[in-house]
Amino acid sequence: MIGRISPPVVILLVLLCAAIVPPFVFLSYSSLHYLDASGAFGAFTFEHFAAIFSSRTFGPMLLNSLVYALGSALLALFIGAAQAWLAERTDASFRQILYVASIVSLGIPYVLYIVAWLLFLGKAGPFNASLQYLFGGTTPYINVYSLGGMIFVEGLLWSPLAFLLLSPVFRNSDASFEEAASVCGAGLLSTLRYVTFRMARPALLALGFLVFIKASESFEVPALVGLPGSTRVLTTAIYQKLTLDIPPDVGSASAFGVMLLVVMAILLQIYSRVAAQTHRYQTVTGKGFRPRVVRLGRWRYAAGALIVTIPFIVVVVPLATILWAALLPYYQPFSMKALPLLGVGNFVQVLNSPSFRGAIVNSLVLGAAAATLVTVLSAIAGWCVARRVAGSRLIDTLAALPLVFPAIVLGLAFLEIFVHGGARIYGSLLSLVVVSVVAYMPYGLRYAQLGVIQIHPELEEAAAIAGARQTGTFFRVVLPLLVPALISCWLFVFLLAVRAVSLLLLLVGPDSQIVAVTLFDFWNNGQIGELAALGCVWTAIMTVFSVAFLIVARRYQLPIA
Amino acid sequence: MLHVENLTKVYAPGESGGGIRATSFHVTAGEFYTLLGPSGCGKTTTLRSVAGLEEPSSGRMTLEDRVIFDSSTGVFVPANQRRLGMVFQSYAVWPHMSVFDNTAFPLRMSRGKRWSNTEIRQRVTHTLETMGLAAFADRSAAQLSGGQQQRLALARALVAEPRLLLLDEPLSNLDALLREQMRSELRRLQKDVGVTAVYVTHDQSEALALSDRIAVMHNGRIAQIGTPQQIYHQPGNAFVATFVGRSNLLRGALLERDKDGNARIATALGPVLCRAPTVTTGLAPGAALIRPEHIVLTAIAGTGDASLNRFRGRVSQVAFLGEATECVVQVGNVEILVRGPAGQYGGSEAVDVFFPPERTLAIAVDEL
Ligand SMILES: Nc1ncnc2c1ncn2[C@@H]1O[C@H](COP(=O)(O)OP(=O)(O)OP(=O)(O)O)[C@@H](O)[C@H]1O
Ligand SMILES: [Mg+2]
Repeated sequence: MIGRISPPVVILLVLLCAAIVPPFVFLSYSSLHYLDASGAFGAFTFEHFAAIFSSRTFGPMLLNSLVYALGSALLALFIGAAQAWLAERTDASFRQILYVASIVSLGIPYVLYIVAWLLFLGKAGPFNASLQYLFGGTTPYINVYSLGGMIFVEGLLWSPLAFLLLSPVFRNSDASFEEAASVCGAGLLSTLRYVTFRMARPALLALGFLVFIKASESFEVPALVGLPGSTRVLTTAIYQKLTLDIPPDVGSASAFGVMLLVVMAILLQIYSRVAAQTHRYQTVTGKGFRPRVVRLGRWRYAAGALIVTIPFIVVVVPLATILWAALLPYYQPFSMKALPLLGVGNFVQVLNSPSFRGAIVNSLVLGAAAATLVTVLSAIAGWCVARRVAGSRLIDTLAALPLVFPAIVLGLAFLEIFVHGGARIYGSLLSLVVVSVVAYMPYGLRYAQLGVIQIHPELEEAAAIAGARQTGTFFRVVLPLLVPALISCWLFVFLLAVRAVSLLLLLVGPDSQIVAVTLFDFWNNGQIGELAALGCVWTAIMTVFSVAFLIVARRYQLPIA
Repeated sequence: MLHVENLTKVYAPGESGGGIRATSFHVTAGEFYTLLGPSGCGKTTTLRSVAGLEEPSSGRMTLEDRVIFDSSTGVFVPANQRRLGMVFQSYAVWPHMSVFDNTAFPLRMSRGKRWSNTEIRQRVTHTLETMGLAAFADRSAAQLSGGQQQRLALARALVAEPRLLLLDEPLSNLDALLREQMRSELRRLQKDVGVTAVYVTHDQSEALALSDRIAVMHNGRIAQIGTPQQIYHQPGNAFVATFVGRSNLLRGALLERDKDGNARIATALGPVLCRAPTVTTGLAPGAALIRPEHIVLTAIAGTGDASLNRFRGRVSQVAFLGEATECVVQVGNVEILVRGPAGQYGGSEAVDVFFPPERTLAIAVDEL
């Protein structure tokens, strides 16, 4: 058996094991041991877990996590599904806007997006101010630093991806199912209710579950929106154990991490079941298939208005808020009085500062390096998995394992490895690249696998019959055909790698500042002007990448996420 | 019952833009009416316009004296208010519903009458029994075989007693044997239920076997309307002649036409005498049409001089088809297809080919 596994597969397996096993080991080890004053491991103990379960805040925290994740999933699903249906199945006006807005939003760093909403919805923000103006009173009408605020921001954050993932579902469904309902006497609403959305239900369920998982492991919104209002969830508990306690309570943090891992493993297991059902109702659409749109008639312009409103809320409002903040020397809510103060001072400062320029360069290098490594590894691994080479199941399992790590927990695990393993690379840009590669490998692999599946095996067999060896076939036949999938894989991983703060927050050092973490620090220090200016510059750069991603994905008809 | 007048649906400007042009036909109550034509000729477009799934560009349609579409007054009754039954080419049986729920759907959506649950149950059960699906009522529709799905689609289309049943190539997804079975089944059901049906197909044998009347379509227009016998034996033009059934078409100028309806056409083989019941004398270019099964082949009759409609040729290809043999006879440089009883000829014999005048038809040649 072993003998039949080819050398590249062995190398791949060794690499994957080396990257993935240590985080598990270190995390569980430190959750079960005391740390002595020098930071070395002490005696074995269950105390970290015992302390968590006996704590009185644990129950409410779990409940918060659940409500938050569920609420976000429902909101994202609702917005995403409405957009996807309007864009794919109706003749509503302005449908293209939805794609552009969603893609642009993929390039906005989480922190920037959240901060924008905090400024907009905050006590002194324009939203509360308008309500006060309209309905009187001086107290704020809404408090964004609440569970509701968290759900709102996280839900909006995921809605573009929900839209991008759902639109193929609506695009590929056979219109004759709906036409049949129509001939049977069903009106538009009944058809939507009993046929369209009912048939999309497996896909909706799977996507909702995915957002639920993503929200349960998310860190940015809980940290920026939840913590100021003392709404704590599991991920922020880890962060607080490490940053509030002196010395950092690594043991408790790890224990939390292990628990989250278990939860994630269960959720992902369920998810894979749910996701397997997604195509249940997507019957083969052969002859007579025509993509047909619902004519909305006089509702067309109403739907068009909705289509303009959603991206306006999801993208334009936050970006405008950030731009406003970036142009002001010190932050104040929107008002006519403030207009004369506008200037580009923050931009000048950000672009002149070597450390900010360094953060931008570091981020770009990090994204590019991680994306390149992930793409190369995924191309090989994806081919092995899709073609069921010996040992490929193991590759598949190993490469998917990092998914069970919430980003903050993976960051914690690597922190422990770097500290205890005495690794010199702690705090270096290289360490960030390694961690990112591990974290984003599952996404890259999925992309490459889809790409390979589109290549008919006979093309390779033809090469083999023409006398090419397996490696020759891979480089001369598979790789060139895989290029579009790999380009979009690269761009997707790039966008992911530079966007989030949670994975690398615990790992950056003085020489490896990156934009996402810098933005996070700015917010904690109250430097809103610099934050907004750096965020604007960065979003502009990212838009180039995300639009490139859209173009490649469109051109080669690849799934967008 | 259904009157379609000057129905036009253009997708793109120009004659090659697809769609249908100035199509008119009338379907009488209880009739099995077929739209027959090659792929892309506009059958589905016509049917979908009748169903209300497509909004035609112009024209007028009435169903049971009620206008359902009129471009001049802007009337367009949407599909869900036309009270029709339709069987889709892909069946469009909802996979997420049970067989029962699929069938009950039109009743639950009914606008006029509100059906109680017991009524629905009775009605659906009865319909499913008629279709031989009663045993599957609780099964998910996704678990049915192709033939069962087709019957379910039919049950769903018929359950609310529609005014008109529309069928778009319902048999094309079935394998050959099942197709023959379902064909006779369909015909029987339609007569039993007494529903008026408009049926779309590109399969001429299906059309001939099933229909009371056929409208042959070509390039978005109706080429001929008639009973299966009329379409087959008196094709109105060369397109219908070649599309429905196999035929030998000998083009030539019309020489003369007598008062009994006989004509002589100057073909490449020489003058051919044929019947000309419809062709007017003024029509110069024409063709003699003779079906392969009507040609008489005989061994060479001694003298060798060609008498009326008799030509000398040589068998060049023979194909054994089981119930018959088809051979190609080379007469001069014209190939004639002949179909006859099995085992008569082996190949490359010299033969006499005879076109019985009463079975040879003069037809107009238009755009062929
Ligand atoms: N939505 C559309 N947009 C543009 N052209 C169309 C559209 N639907 C049909 N057509 C064109 O109209 C013509 C008639 O199409 P239709 O589907 O009615 O053909 P059909 O007779 O049903 O053919 P088939 O037997 O292949 O189903 C075709 O040339 C087709 O290309
Ligand atoms: Mg058709």
